[in-house]
Amino acid sequence: MYLTKSEEKAVSGEHGRALELAYRVLLAIGRLSNAEKLIPIKWAHVSGVSYLTIGDYGLDFLRGISKEKNAKFRVFTTVNPCGMDIENWDCLDIPADYAEKQLRIINAYEKLGIASSFTCIPFESYKVPVRGTHVSWAESSAAIYANSILDLRTNRESAVSALASALTGKTVYSELHIDENRKPTIAIKVNLGRVFKGSLDFGILGYFAGKRTKGVVQFRGIPSTNSIDESKALCAALGTVGSTGMFTVGNSSNLETIDFSKKDYEEIFDNISDSETGEAVVFGCPQMTIEELYRLSKAVRGKKFKRKCIVFCSSKIYELAKSRGYAEAIEHSGAVFVRDSCADFTPLISSLNVDSVTTDSVKGAHYMKSVHGVKVALKNVESIVEENTS
Amino acid sequence: MKARSISDTSLSAGTIKARCIVEPSRRITGEILFTSQPIAFLQGVDPEIGMVSDKKHELYGKAFSGKILVFPNAVGSSVGAYVIYRLAKNHVGPKAMINQNSDIITASGCAISRIPLFDLPDSDIGGLREMKRVELLKTGTIRSLEGNEK
Repeated sequence: MYLTKSEEKAVSGEHGRALELAYRVLLAIGRLSNAEKLIPIKWAHVSGVSYLTIGDYGLDFLRGISKEKNAKFRVFTTVNPCGMDIENWDCLDIPADYAEKQLRIINAYEKLGIASSFTCIPFESYKVPVRGTHVSWAESSAAIYANSILDLRTNRESAVSALASALTGKTVYSELHIDENRKPTIAIKVNLGRVFKGSLDFGILGYFAGKRTKGVVQFRGIPSTNSIDESKALCAALGTVGSTGMFTVGNSSNLETIDFSKKDYEEIFDNISDSETGEAVVFGCPQMTIEELYRLSKAVRGKKFKRKCIVFCSSKIYELAKSRGYAEAIEHSGAVFVRDSCADFTPLISSLNVDSVTTDSVKGAHYMKSVHGVKVALKNVESIVEENTS
Repeated sequence: MKARSISDTSLSAGTIKARCIVEPSRRITGEILFTSQPIAFLQGVDPEIGMVSDKKHELYGKAFSGKILVFPNAVGSSVGAYVIYRLAKNHVGPKAMINQNSDIITASGCAISRIPLFDLPDSDIGGLREMKRVELLKTGTIRSLEGNEK
């Protein structure tokens, strides 16, 4: 792989240990993909923030890096949700030693320089660069969204590779950064014999596509005017079980086409949804957008949740929702906001002490089952509100 | 990356030309620790003692320390990269690793831990099973020492 003089110096350690390690990571990944060079990026989105996922190993590494001289993020950097609500963790049964370690991870990232919000939907809160801009995003759902909806260029980065991009401002020029690799190679035709609508439908489709295809996939027969929420659900499910970093919506011929029928839908639904009802309600995997909070605030007006209901969103979206009165309406219904955190990778779901939860998220269902061992009732938002409030 | 030559891939001569993912800073010699099973670093390896902790794995109970670890590729969580780092920091990691087709977990983990890493996209890692001791050169050459090493 071609390196500039300055990059070569950095690899050999002349610009400090943090940059040396970061460039070594990019060099190794570049060699894996036979990349020709590194390219500058405008935005890094780093995963590996929750103590529940990276543990002492990740904490140890991040603290070490953050103390090195010359260690700072050189491009605009957002980070994934962490493992608790930073402002409010002691009210949510988070163990104190866990919280302390989580705060150390956050301190290390803050020292390196990150945007204020901990979010898996960074495109919701920060200004998105022009189409075609190269970025380096970990968090599969966000990376797929970036490529497919925002027309940014990113590979599905890992926690370590996105960190290397944040430190250097560069990424490896390979795969989805190159135009010719961004064309669909397989199509899925949606034909359920009914209107295809809502985050649950799109989540099930993403799960089907992730299981059945590799490479860039084209969807046919879905509305071209999806809401952010629907696209977000599709990206999240696709990233959870699939390896692709991109999809398109269209109707190009000459592609091998797989049908997505009512039977396929029901099979996946029955496979994921293994409970009739849930003892608690979880919204926000990926974290909720302002539109979703608006709709939820309308849906729950004048109602009270009969069961625990937790709503995940970033602190930035929470503040916006508060200023518009949505947050108050939702809190008035008895739902509890957990900010800057993640439904899947926090101790919160385990500490709820329930055997089952209700959610509209296919990705959330997948991880809450595997990480927290709960059963999941999968339903659309309208039914969830209907059945769980009075 | 420059096109690599596979013309000198030759097991009979006791040398294999590998692709260098993380290059060694000098010549490395060591005993091979071979498995044909992928390794899940996050849940399948104990980085405090430096061995595979998954009882069903064929390397269960065998120490990495001082060895050249040969396995097809890593599987599981990308946090596995941090486990490799921890192995190195605890001084219980392998001297080097060789994969069949390396992956982002192993590559980034070795890169941050300064553990040399080769892979063999063009020849079978099974050929390394028979080699007891090997040397790894900066150029990507793996050479069998067949017990002749002093």
